[in-house]
This record gives sequence, structure tokens and C-alpha cells, in this order.
Amino acid sequence: MSVSVEGLLIFAFAVALGVIVAKIIGIYIRRTLAEKIPKNELNLILKIVNVTIIAVFVLFALPFVGVNPSGLIAAGGFAGLVVGFASRSVVANLVSGIFLMAERPVRIGDQIMVGDVAGFVEDIQILSTIIRTYDGLFVRIPNEKMFTSNIVNLVANPVRRFEYVIGISYKDDAERAIEIIRRVIDEHPFALKNPEPQIFVDELGESSVNIVVRVWSPSSVWYDAKTEILWKIKVELEKAGIEIPFPQRVVWLRRGKDELGKDVSA
Amino acid sequence: MFVPIKLERKNGRLIYVRDDVRKILPECEIVVNPVEPINLPKNVTKYLEIDFPPILIKPNAVETIYLKFPIEIGVFAKHDDKIAVVDVFTFDKPKYTLYGNPKNGVVCRWFWSEVYYEIPEVDPLREGVLKLVVRNGGDWVEVGKVVLDCHAMKIYYSEFASCWAEMKILSRISAETTFIDKPIVEGMKKAIELYTTRRLIGRAFTMEWGLK
Repeated sequence: MSVSVEGLLIFAFAVALGVIVAKIIGIYIRRTLAEKIPKNELNLILKIVNVTIIAVFVLFALPFVGVNPSGLIAAGGFAGLVVGFASRSVVANLVSGIFLMAERPVRIGDQIMVGDVAGFVEDIQILSTIIRTYDGLFVRIPNEKMFTSNIVNLVANPVRRFEYVIGISYKDDAERAIEIIRRVIDEHPFALKNPEPQIFVDELGESSVNIVVRVWSPSSVWYDAKTEILWKIKVELEKAGIEIPFPQRVVWLRRGKDELGKDVSA
Repeated sequence: MFVPIKLERKNGRLIYVRDDVRKILPECEIVVNPVEPINLPKNVTKYLEIDFPPILIKPNAVETIYLKFPIEIGVFAKHDDKIAVVDVFTFDKPKYTLYGNPKNGVVCRWFWSEVYYEIPEVDPLREGVLKLVVRNGGDWVEVGKVVLDCHAMKIYYSEFASCWAEMKILSRISAETTFIDKPIVEGMKKAIELYTTRRLIGRAFTMEWGLK
């Protein structure tokens, strides 16, 4: 195999051209995506694009240094088949990752639920998504699973609603309880004025008159608002002498004779 | 009203105390002034919605009204024109609301005001005066609320805090609101801002979910 100086120069020129083209396209991609995707993902995309462009130029320039790329392709075909089978899930995760980045159902910092995992999105990488659960655990979810699962984004909308069912005793005044609950909600800064909170008697239960309370709150603080308001309602109802009863059953004991005239004493 | 701030000089340092906030500061100038009302109890938005009794505005008319708006009080450390925030507190009870729908709306700090046609008297530690110029280039329109982007808010103060805003009516249900960087009364001092936006152009907020 003889390699001419001219062939070597052309090969070197093609590789240099490939590097320049890769650089220009890299700059364009960086400018376009810089504020749209996280830095680590951007770097990964840039690396992939860079390597692919240079590889294409090298492939086209190989004949000038006496290497037939078709031979490489034939050799690489079998190897590619083996690697392809071995890396099927990697490719699936990669493609899912790209689709997740394009569709953007979640962002870093969002609170989400995927299957039985709930927590904050720490990072969205090209192959996996990292979740920090509420109890501080690190969970890595492969992007293929993310892509095919039902994702519940708890903070995608600016506000969300929470609900309580508060049971009060039958002897207490439900209208007064509603008035107290409304006052507690009105005083809480993050119980939104609009959409208006709803407070109403929903059910005459076995042990209590059940009042449903529905409150909207900014998504970023809804959990704090939910816990604070519930406790304040409990405290204020107690202060007003309104009882939140335990489950109970009234049993009547009868004394006298039954239908057949026998004595009954239990 | 009692302002619960204590400043002591100790070992060449200033000790700032308010309730359970305690900070040690170097010798510097301390500035206290009204700031944008979107920080307490926690910053969740940059918008302020003021609701008021609806006013009817004639076609092709300009109406100037005065509203009250809530204020928070900022304490700043200043040295060589460099500013650091020391504390923010309020005497008001903040309340928040949603302007728009739960999918696309915006969370806003909420406040109720009467409508005034001259500068009203205010409780200066709780409220300021907003001069609102409503420009209606179309048909009759009823306006009962204004939503403003507080990151572009320009507060001036003397005995009371004030700011100036414009509301350009776009249709019966939409309008564009912007702040004007001018005092409503000559001689007022510009407040140090928590959110500085030099370019007011382009910081307009479009109210697209109704005007009342």
C-alpha cells in the first residue's frame, strides 16, 4: 500500500476541515441551546456532535491514504451488531433522554412523582434522571422508564388545591365551625383569595358531621400551607369548644320483657 | 407606631436586632425605606394585584386615579454606593391570589383599595399611594383591578411611599401595565430597590385574563 504526499495532505486537510466545521456547528449549538438545557447535557451533546462530524470527514478522507472504508464498514458491521444488541437499553435510554429534553415534562428543581418515587428532580442527564426523594434518598431513574411512565409534576402549574375533611360533633354548630375555618383560611397568606376556598358540610357521617375544606395555594408552598392551616383549624375549633370526635357507636341497653314475655336485662 | 428595630454599637461593629433577627454589621450607613411588597412571608411571585371598586371609563379617555398599595420595609447597609440587604419586614398581613386560571395564570400579592381622585391619607408604615393613569383608546370599559410587575416597581418616598403606573387598555378584557420612573409629588426621594430593572421598556405586564 503506497501513500502519496498529496494523499496525506488531502487527508490532513479533510481532518482539519472537519475540526473547523465541528467547531462552527458547536458554537452555533452552544448559542442556541445555552439557556434552554442544563450545562452538563449541552456539553454531552457538543461532544457527540463534534465526534460525529470529525468521524464523517475522516471516513471520506480515508481513501486518500489508501484505506478502503468499505472494508472497515464490513468489519464494523458485525461488531456493530454485537455492540448494538449489548447496548440496546443504553440506546433506548439515550433516545428517551433526547425526547425528554425536547418535550420537557419536568425541569430541574420540580417536584414530581414517577411510579412509587416522589421527590425533587436533581438532574436530567442524557441516560437517566436523578431524583432526591423527600426523605433525602438518591434515586436514579433510567430515561426509558421516565419516558414510558406516567409522570405527575406537582409544580407544573402555578397553583394547586388541597383538601381536608374535618368531622365535628353532632351537638356542635356546623355554621359556626365553617365561620371559624373560613377565618383561619382568610388569615393565612398563602391560602389564595382567588380561586376562592370552598367550605361546606359534605356528609352526615357515623360519628361526625363532615365538613369539606378546599383551599388553593401557590404550588411552591402548598405543603407548608396545608400543614399550617390544618393545625390552626384544629386549635381554633378547640378554642371555640367545637369537638372533633373520635369514631363512636351508640349502644342502647334495654330492660323489660321481649315479644314472648320473657325478661330482658341486657 | 413602634418600629421594632434596635441598632447598637459594640466593639466597633453595629448590632442590628429586630424580633428574632440579629445581625452584626461593620460601621456603615444604614438606610431604611419602603420596598416592593412581594417578599413576605416568602417570595413566591413578582406580581402585585390591587382590586378596587370597578370604575367605568369612557371611550378614548384618560382617567387618573389613586389607589393604596401595600409596602414592605427594607433595611440596607450602604458603603461607597454599594448596597447590601440587611432585613425586610412588614406591618401588613400579606395575602396572595391567582390572576388568571390555574394552568396559565400568575400568583400575585393581593391588596384591596378604595378608589381616590386625589392623594389619600395612608398609614405610612403599611401602605403607599399608587397613581394609576388608565388610557382607554377603545370602547367603554370597566376596570376593577390592576396587576403590576413589581420587579420594575419604582418607589419614591417622603412622609409616605408612592409609585406611578400606567394602564393601557387593549380590549374589554386586556390591558398593559407599566411603571413610570417619576415621583408623584416633586421632592420625593427614590427608594433603594430590592429588584433593580434599569430598562422599564419591555417590562410591561399584559393583563389578559380580565380587568375586574
